[in-house]
Amino acid sequence: MSVTRRQFLAGATGVAASTWLTGCGGFSKSSSDSSTSKKTVTFMTWASDAEASAFKRLASAFEAANSGVTVDLKIVPYAEMFTGVDAQLQAGTAPDVFRVDYPTMGLYSSTDQLLDLTGHLDSTLTSDFIPALYQAVQFDGKPYGVPHQTDTTCIVYQPAMLQAAGITSVPDSLGSAWSWSEFSDVANKLKASLGADVAPFAYDWQAAGAYRWLTWLFEAGGKLLESDLKTAAIVGAPGTKALEFTRSFFENEWVPKNTSIKGAYPDTVFISEKIAMSFVGDFLLPGIDDGVKNKFEWKATFQPQDARASSDLGGNALVATQQASDPDLAAEFLRFMVSADNMSAFCEEAVELPTLQSLVGEKLNYATRPDLMPIFAQQATTMTADDVAQVTVPFFGQINTLLADQLEQCFTSGQSVDDTLSNIANAVETAAKG
Amino acid sequence: MAAVETVDRTTAERGGSHGRRQLVIREGVTGYLFVWPNLVLLTLFLFVPLGWALLLSLQDAKSFGPATWVGLDNYRTLFTDSVFWRVLLNSLVFTAATVPTSVAIGLVLANLLNRALPARNSLRTIIYLPIVISGLVTSLIGLLLFDEGVGILNGVTRSLGLGNVDWQTNGGLAMLSVVLMTLWTRIGFAMVIYLAGLQDIPEDLYESAQLDGASELQQFRFITVPMLRASTLFLVVMNVIWSFQVFDVVYVMTNGGPGFSTSMLVTYAYDRGFGPSRDFGYGATIGVVLFVITLVFSLIQLRSSRQEA
Amino acid sequence: MRTWTRFGVCASICAVMLFPLYAMLVVAFTPKSELFNGGTHLWPARFTTDNFTNLFDRFPIGTWFTNSVLVAAITTAVAVTCNLLAGYAFAKLHFWGRSPLFFLILSTMMIPAQAIMIPQFRMVSALGIFGTFWAVILPSAATAFGIFLARQFMQSVPDELLEAARVDGAGNLTIFLRIVLPLCKPLIAVLVLLSFMAQWNDFLWPLIVLKTPELYTLPVSLRFLQGQYDANYGGLMAMALLTCLPLVVLFVLLQRYFVQGLARTGIK
Repeated sequence: MSVTRRQFLAGATGVAASTWLTGCGGFSKSSSDSSTSKKTVTFMTWASDAEASAFKRLASAFEAANSGVTVDLKIVPYAEMFTGVDAQLQAGTAPDVFRVDYPTMGLYSSTDQLLDLTGHLDSTLTSDFIPALYQAVQFDGKPYGVPHQTDTTCIVYQPAMLQAAGITSVPDSLGSAWSWSEFSDVANKLKASLGADVAPFAYDWQAAGAYRWLTWLFEAGGKLLESDLKTAAIVGAPGTKALEFTRSFFENEWVPKNTSIKGAYPDTVFISEKIAMSFVGDFLLPGIDDGVKNKFEWKATFQPQDARASSDLGGNALVATQQASDPDLAAEFLRFMVSADNMSAFCEEAVELPTLQSLVGEKLNYATRPDLMPIFAQQATTMTADDVAQVTVPFFGQINTLLADQLEQCFTSGQSVDDTLSNIANAVETAAKG
Repeated sequence: MAAVETVDRTTAERGGSHGRRQLVIREGVTGYLFVWPNLVLLTLFLFVPLGWALLLSLQDAKSFGPATWVGLDNYRTLFTDSVFWRVLLNSLVFTAATVPTSVAIGLVLANLLNRALPARNSLRTIIYLPIVISGLVTSLIGLLLFDEGVGILNGVTRSLGLGNVDWQTNGGLAMLSVVLMTLWTRIGFAMVIYLAGLQDIPEDLYESAQLDGASELQQFRFITVPMLRASTLFLVVMNVIWSFQVFDVVYVMTNGGPGFSTSMLVTYAYDRGFGPSRDFGYGATIGVVLFVITLVFSLIQLRSSRQEA
Repeated sequence: MRTWTRFGVCASICAVMLFPLYAMLVVAFTPKSELFNGGTHLWPARFTTDNFTNLFDRFPIGTWFTNSVLVAAITTAVAVTCNLLAGYAFAKLHFWGRSPLFFLILSTMMIPAQAIMIPQFRMVSALGIFGTFWAVILPSAATAFGIFLARQFMQSVPDELLEAARVDGAGNLTIFLRIVLPLCKPLIAVLVLLSFMAQWNDFLWPLIVLKTPELYTLPVSLRFLQGQYDANYGGLMAMALLTCLPLVVLFVLLQRYFVQGLARTGIK
């Protein structure tokens, strides 16, 4: 079979192209996988714009402080972050360091995926961490990560709308936070004054935030789990009270119908002025600021309290993986990220709360609304070690999912309070066994 | 002389049939040669993973940590899982809503656009353009349209004084929104297949029917529809497969909500497998069941059509 | 039905079908502040290209675009070649087990992708290609729909042509390359378009197996924009527009062949 010139040319082009392509980065295992003379720390995380810029700065600073070391910062979309981490852990190509929220961390620390940091952290550092948060990164008494930052929820509101409804005073100290009945009053007044299009408030329990409902449970004096962390404790008077109260948000039309568990996030609704108040996490402040700009004035106040005050455990830890090629270097990077200077720099830029006690009292120079952050910082102190322990059990991911499902059924599909509570209790105990 | 000729002829014959068998064998080998690249890919990335999924469904497997064999436990749990049945119902409803509708509208449009019409080509292009829009972009546009707070549709209804429509909080309306966005991408494909099928129907069938006094509607019912039976079969089977496997639109637009009103089989499998519970075994179980359901349905469809023909 | 009635009905349906794309276009050019003011957004007071410039600032769009093109092109080349070969074999070559094998291959269309994602990435890491483009290309090239279309189409190639060629002494490969393929241009157009489109639009799988953001393809960027809490529709629509524009252009250029190709798959 004779080969025509055209065929030959086509073949040659094909060979040349494929040679070039195999040289091209994406087609072979990237060189960062193999060990090179330069030491590298791969750090995988999701990040908001503000957080991303802070991470990049700190990565460069680490490189500057340690010659011969590169920090390979990989920022990925939030929705698929942990699917990616899981995939890479299974494939044996996990990053050296990654960021993870406290409840999810238990899944990795309890299955031997993370580096045990005992011996890498000295006691001056560990005793400076907020105890509840240092507790959150431990499994079996050993630390598997460092608490990097924390977030919590407070109420942001439009003073103009509240004044128009005749609400003259808003709590300005933790002790004077609204009680549940005072809060109900506020909601009713707002409902009467605001008209059909605007609702009094919305709560931030959407999607993976379903666990924030537990704040109400804790405020009522209840618990999710007994101290053995395996038996459900939710069925009882506090549980019933909390669930009835939160369900009444929908019955009384205090919240927009589409802001239940599987619904829209409240910060967007607040920006478009469809609610007067919104429960939001501090990490949303930059986004709200950007969306509101100068349209209206907005301030913050504390969450309501009942038998006690409480809040939700937000924020993330930084962890190193067992697969890290250089465990000492990875630990070094972690220590670097939680040193007082670097932590405060990060928190100021990202508008999040620090985890070191020595920083809690200080007035940090937050990039957005520094006037509001002290409120969040104080609200975070209402969490007890017991609260934290309940939301950081290794199987908490499953609890979060079942909470989301059951609460959604109760709020929007008319499932009874008793059924919901017992369903949750059963599912929690099944998860604890599995 | 004759003997030699006979011998020669026999040799020639034997050579002939031997040559023919060689051809057959060579064709067979060529057949395999042509097929093996695809076969390798399909085996590596579809058959083996399917088998693996089957194995996983018999295990209690999480992302990490050891997996334990639990036999048919996952399947037992599945049959008592009320969420699974709800999700199965949703998938059936979704399929029932999308398949006949898209096929029927495709058929109507193909008929309308088959004969001369001003700007016919542009009209056709507009209708099948959504085929190339990805599921993700379709869902994002869907969110843009149906978002209760800041979406366009509610903006329009509000400015018309009709107030807000509960696209996201009402289960039925949420399902409707997902169905509408899916139809948007399916109608064009049905139309193209039918347009092709219509070209094969001989004109004289219509002419003689017209001479017999048949109305347009009667011509449609008794000539067009039966002649397009193969196209219809193809479209129905493909659309059912696609509807049962719907994922992107639901995952991005409603995430299965409100409650479980728009959760479908594949999104449920994904939630259980990749969500916080990371129950790979159970996710695989749902996937296997879905595969079997789709397979059975397709076989039934094919068999019944073969009986008809 | 009268022509103008037909035109009216079709035009109205088209207007409805065009509306989502129109919405995407308009919102992509609407400034963020306007999007939250509760209006209809059908015709913004101000037009802006900020959404686009923002995107180019934040993300390596050029790199991702190139990645998308590269990955989609190679997947298409691999998939179409395999599909054509296999389609011809199933249509015209007789080999033992041809029918059962064909049905086995068709049955793979019923496997939901998400259900086998975990085994698939175990396979991908077992093969040592995790994290490279091949992890995206190879699994995506394995598709039964293309084989089905190819076989249907090639069945319409007249057997006499092949017989004549065989009598002339041509081997199977020559027949395939010199006689059958030139007749298959519409089919190739359909396969190329469908394969390119499927690969270009895929976001979940590339996100999982390409662990380095520099290797991401364009649709993945949409997930970045959806963020943890965001509903920045302006940016989302701008990116969505960028993502689907190349396909739309490709489709409009190839649409004649596309329709022809589907028609001749002889679904009858």
